[in-house]
This record gives sequence, C-alpha cells and structure tokens, in this order.
Amino acid sequence: MNPFGKSFFAVLSVILSVFVLTAGPARGEENSELMGKVANKAYIKECGACHFAYQPQFLPKRSWEKIMNTLDSHFGDSATLDEATRAEILTYLVKNSADSSSSKLSRKMLASLSSTETPLRISDTPYFKRKHREVRPNVFKRKSIGSPANCAGCHLTAEQGDYDEHKVKIPKN
Amino acid sequence: MQVSPVFTAALLFVALSPELGLAAGLNNEMTKYVQGLETQAKKQESGFKGFDPERGKKLFFDARPNDKTGTISCATCHTSDLKKSGKTLVGKVIEPLAPSANKARLTNVKETEKWLLRNFKQVYGREGTAREKGDVLMFINAQ
Ligand code: HEC
Ligand code: HEC
Ligand code: HEC
Repeated sequence: MNPFGKSFFAVLSVILSVFVLTAGPARGEENSELMGKVANKAYIKECGACHFAYQPQFLPKRSWEKIMNTLDSHFGDSATLDEATRAEILTYLVKNSADSSSSKLSRKMLASLSSTETPLRISDTPYFKRKHREVRPNVFKRKSIGSPANCAGCHLTAEQGDYDEHKVKIPKN
Repeated sequence: MQVSPVFTAALLFVALSPELGLAAGLNNEMTKYVQGLETQAKKQESGFKGFDPERGKKLFFDARPNDKTGTISCATCHTSDLKKSGKTLVGKVIEPLAPSANKARLTNVKETEKWLLRNFKQVYGREGTAREKGDVLMFINAQ
C-alpha cells in the first residue's frame, strides 16, 4: 500500500495547479513588455483579414466600443459584421482591453491619454508617437510597410505580442 | 422509348442556362447563390443573356480614382495574377483568389457575399449589381 494515500496526491495536485495558475499570467503580462497573443478565433478571422490583429491591450475599452459601433465606416472601408459575431468580438476586446490589463505597456498607454480622449487608432496615441518618434514619417510609407498600422511589417514578433525594440527590422523599401 | 420527365427538365435547364458551364466546380451552396443572382439579373436587366467572364474581367481590372492610392481596382489588392497572393493597403497578405490555387475560395456564400459587398464599395463606391457580381465570380472561378 502507498503510505501517502490518495488524499495526499489530491492535495499536492491542488497546490501545484494553484501555483501554475497564478504563475502563468504574471510571466507574460505583469513585469515584462509582452502583450500576449491574440486568442479569439472570430477576432483573428474578421479583424485580421485587412490588417494585423492588434492586441486588445493596446486600447482602452471606450476605444474598442467606438470602433465596434462604427464598423460600416471604418477608416474609409466597410468592416460590417453580423450582430452575433460583432457582439462576440466586442466582448473579447473589452475583456482584454488596456483597462483590464496589468501589462506595463497598457498602463503606459492609458497614462498617455486624458480620460476624455477616445482614440480610434493605436498609431494616434501619444504613447505610440513617443515610441516611434525616431521613425521618420516617410519610412511608414515605404512600399512594403504602407502605414503605421502595419505593426508586423517592422515588428517581426508582433504576433507573439513581443514589441521588443531589438526584434524590429525596418524594411529598406 | 420513354424519356423521363426529370431528364427532360434537366436537359432543358442546361440548355436554357449556358452560363452554368462557367460555374463548373462550384459546390451546391455556391451554385444556388449564382442561380439566385441570375434570377435577379434577369429581373433587373431586360437584355440579360447570362453572365460573362469577359465583362467580369474588365470589371476586375477597371481602375477608379481613390483618395489613398490615386487609383484602385480589384487587382490593386488581389494582383493581376489571381493565382498569386495579394496584399491589402495595410500590408496584410491575401491568399490567392483563384479557386485553382486556393481551394477555400468561392466555397462559402456568406464569406463571398461579405467580401463582394465590402470590395465593391471600396472600389466602385457602391454595391455591385447582381449581373456584376455574377460576371466577376465567373471570371474568378475560371482562374
Ligand atoms: C475591410 C478591411 C478591414 C477590416 C475587415 C477591418 N479593418 Fe480595421 N482598418 C482597416 C483600414 C483600411 C484601416 C486604416 C489603416 C491605415 O491607416 O493604414 C484600419 C485601421 C484599424 C485600426 C487602427 C490602426 C492604427 O492605425 O493604430 C484599428 C484599431 C482597427 N482597424 C480595428 C479593427 C477591428 C477591431 C476590426 C474587426 C471588427 C477591423 N479593424 C476590421 C480596414 C479593415
Ligand atoms: C516602420 C516600422 C514600424 C512600424 C510599422 C511600427 N513600429 Fe513599433 N517600433 C518601431 C521601432 C523602430 C521601435 C523602436 C523605437 C526605439 O526604440 O527608438 C518601435 C517601438 C515600439 C514599441 C515600444 C517597445 C518598447 O520595448 O519600448 C511598441 C509598443 C510598438 N513599437 C508598437 C507598435 C504597434 C502596436 C504598431 C502598429 C500599430 C507599430 N509599433 C508599428 C518600428 C515600427
Ligand atoms: C483594399 C483591398 C481589396 C480590394 C480593392 C478588393 N479586395 Fe477582394 N478581398 C480583400 C480581402 C482582404 C479579402 C479577404 C481576405 C481573405 O479571405 O483572405 C478579399 C476577399 C475577396 C473575395 C472572397 C472570396 C472567397 O470566397 O473567399 C472575393 C470574391 C473578392 N475579394 C473579390 C473582389 C473584387 C471583385 C474586387 C473589386 C471589385 C475586390 N475583391 C477588391 C481585399 C480587397
């Protein structure tokens, strides 16, 4: 017979899983600059078709609400969705917005905005502009980049939520 | 010899819809969608004689003035070789549009309708008519 018995292992596994659960998010979010990976399938499919699927942690809840309520005129494009999909994506974005995130980047982003500002673009925020002040405006217009909205054009690891400046490669043309 | 009425109906149907030959390879759902567009086009245009991939091709390459890009056509994002990958104005890669190069294309009516609506608005500033949508789908399907 096992001297420890079943209950010992049950308690041990509870302790272990609590450890794993609490250690998990802290690693990606709290102290490092990682934004985490985008996890919602509908968001990746619908909002990742025309451009990079931005991490929701980059904008406050009020911004996502405004974006999701004006999809029929979306930066000169139409991104209209059926109501069920729209609602699912909005829920995901709000739940993971900068307001609900403990990442450093989100906190800095929020701190750069006054509470009356509702930016529709990440690339319009003071935080973004400060971080990119060394990138000349015509660099964003290079053929293979096109726009500041094309994060993955320069941040090779943007999809992994890693915006570390050492992993940036600006295409030459 | 007796000819089955179903067979006669099928023959008649094929004879009356020569353009369905162009829809070859489309699944049931898409075939029904194209037939629906055809019914609509007949109602909307008295001289309608079926979809024409040549008109669809012209529509695909016709460049329109655009604030951001100077001019824009379907080929701006999908390139002029539909078997190749394209790119949006925000730099995101678009998988090939030609069904021969991308099996997922023209298989889901909801998806196809959604993008035709958006893309027509972007290039032509309005929705496509039933005839235009049919024409351009026949062109894409033949690639
Ligand atoms: C039909 C194409 C299309 C779809 C689909 C689409 N967008 Fe966009 N989006 C655009 C365009 C065009 C821009 C402007 C990009 C530029 O300035 O170069 C844009 C910009 C944005 C920006 C601002 C980027 C910046 O400059 O910081 C956000 C945020 C955004 N979209 C969110 C969304 C969300 C959320 C969805 C899904 C509901 C979505 N988009 C779906 C075309 C699209
Ligand atoms: C033209 C290339 C380019 C594009 C496009 C671009 N970035 Fe950057 N980004 C850079 C460079 C270069 C730096 C590093 C700047 C420095 O350290 O001086 C940077 C820095 C950053 C940082 C700061 C990282 C840190 O560790 O401090 C963040 C966050 C970031 N970018 C997010 C974005 C997002 C989000 C987008 C898209 C909306 C984007 N970038 C688009 C080039 C680009
Ligand atoms: C601004 C860029 C852009 C332009 C211009 C554009 N498209 Fe698209 N198109 C897209 C994107 C993005 C998708 C969806 C991406 C994907 O499914 O991989 C798409 C998807 C489609 C599909 C969906 C096919 C399917 O069933 O999956 C069709 C059909 C289509 N486009 C036709 C057209 C036609 C016709 C025009 C011209 C009237 C046009 N496009 C112009 C960007 C564009």
